[in-house]
Amino acid sequence: MKCLAQPLERSDARFAFTIVVGLLLLNVIIFILPLIYAAWISFHDRDVILRTQEFVGLDHYRRILSSPEAIAAIFRSIIFTAVAVILSLLIGLGIALVLNEDFPGRPLLRAVILLPWAFSEVVTATAWIFILNPTFGALTGLLRPLGLVEANHAWINENTALYWVAIAFVWHIAPLGALFFLAGLQTIPDSLYQAARIDRAPALSRFFHVTLPYLHPTVVIVVVVVTMEAFRSFDLLFALTRGGPGAASQTFPMLIFRYTFEFSQYGLAAAASYILAAISMIITTVCYVVLMRRRHIARIAAAAIDAIPRPRAAGTRVATQP
Amino acid sequence: MKKTPGERAILWVGVALVTAWTLVPIAVMVWVSLMPLDALIDYGLLQWPSGMSLANYRALLGIANINAVFGGEAVAVALGFFNSAVVAGAVAVIGTAAAVIGGYAFGRFDFPLKNALLFALLSVRVLPPIAVLIPYFVILSTLHLVGTYVGLIVTYLTAVVPLLTWVLMDYFASLPLEIERAARIDGCGRLRTLWHVTMPMAAPGIAAAFVIAFLTAWNELLFGLVLTGGTAKQTLSPALLAFSPTMPSTGTANLGMTLFAASSVLSTVPPLFLALLAQRYIRRLNVADPVLSQVLR
Repeated sequence: MKCLAQPLERSDARFAFTIVVGLLLLNVIIFILPLIYAAWISFHDRDVILRTQEFVGLDHYRRILSSPEAIAAIFRSIIFTAVAVILSLLIGLGIALVLNEDFPGRPLLRAVILLPWAFSEVVTATAWIFILNPTFGALTGLLRPLGLVEANHAWINENTALYWVAIAFVWHIAPLGALFFLAGLQTIPDSLYQAARIDRAPALSRFFHVTLPYLHPTVVIVVVVVTMEAFRSFDLLFALTRGGPGAASQTFPMLIFRYTFEFSQYGLAAAASYILAAISMIITTVCYVVLMRRRHIARIAAAAIDAIPRPRAAGTRVATQP
Repeated sequence: MKKTPGERAILWVGVALVTAWTLVPIAVMVWVSLMPLDALIDYGLLQWPSGMSLANYRALLGIANINAVFGGEAVAVALGFFNSAVVAGAVAVIGTAAAVIGGYAFGRFDFPLKNALLFALLSVRVLPPIAVLIPYFVILSTLHLVGTYVGLIVTYLTAVVPLLTWVLMDYFASLPLEIERAARIDGCGRLRTLWHVTMPMAAPGIAAAFVIAFLTAWNELLFGLVLTGGTAKQTLSPALLAFSPTMPSTGTANLGMTLFAASSVLSTVPPLFLALLAQRYIRRLNVADPVLSQVLR
């Protein structure tokens, strides 16, 4: 027992237990009960006008999984998540690598990079609307004088909408990844870098042999966190494109929102919510398991880099050689 | 260790890239917020600054008149500031208080099934919020709580309390036991010990929890939109969207653009100010995702 002074032990345990049971009761009321209610809704067909409820069993689940609209939305969610995760890893790591070095103004930059993360997704959308606006947006304004695009170039179109939203999302979430990576970088002992330098290992080789292997757990954390956040993301999509143009960026959460508030299909929406939750849990678990198993990914990458012919290759093997 | 000139050059390129990536979108937004609307529409965003002023901000704050088209939306934004301040303030105060008690219980004591109970509490975080949207919406409309502060505050608390309980649990567990023990032996009651001895020691963690709760409630769109959108209690995020050119309902395309930029910039001020106040506390905390850090432990 990690309790206080001996004679007080029993009253302490009771004190703690009372609080925890209270919290859990509250949790059941505000969370578990609504979830059960959602399951009930998903098994019923509710007619808003006639005010009737009819038990339809798993019909709604079947309808969603056989609807091309829903399947397309699920795929869009997966693509959006994949792009967001990959870019967040690269940009988050890039930011962290820069901030891990010593340069004047580092504390200031470290605070500044967190700004996008502190902004709401609605404000993130605002910032990117002014970059991507076809008439007076910054991208058009910058590239038109160079003759690269014509006036009124629609940056957000059928083909690109999902990717632009993903980029805006990465702008918002990458600072979180950078924070994790920065923490990870600071756990790497300096002596390893010194040893690599003494062996005259080039910068790239140092990165793949020393830095990346140490960052492996951090990569797992960032992948899982960003996957979770991207897969459930709603605010940014709604504020930036509302799922459009057409259905080009209509991800699964957006579709659930439309089921609920445009078509008043509560049963369908509740069933879709359960499917979303299930997919989200599966993806997160798979990411976690796969990444934790593949400890050799970093080693493979390092080997690949070593295979690239270099002029000075002969004398620059890293410390692993006896 | 000393860097070679080449390495130093690469570092500064990196610094420049990171700064640009972070600041350019913000700068663009601030830039537009300072522009008069007709200049933006006639000459685009990249132009020599002429007629830049705080007119948009003055209009939003009710100091100056604005164009008739967006009068209603500007009022809604002003109202949204007030409503969001009430909701986020209440969520921060109640949520932190609940999490202090919960985090203390979890962080200080062992009891049967502790880990299972903790996981049950944190499972809230794993689900996408939209998964509980429908039951919440139906239940709250049955209780006539749609379009009220109470409905929204309760909803946000369900998301915030488990997260903060986790943050504070770690913090309480890291505090020294001896001082509390001394207070208890001197006859200080359990709750009095918590209030007079433990909480002052945990002030940094509590400050951070307060900021996290405030930010979460202030920034959120989905539930604010569904539970208060279009009502007198509409929060800031849905109110901002009224200016957005992507909202088909306004039909006024780009006419609200400069006000949109100004109101968005303005909306970031209160949370940033709060975060600045609590900054030195937050830096010491691990605000990682709670579920995850448990899984990875």
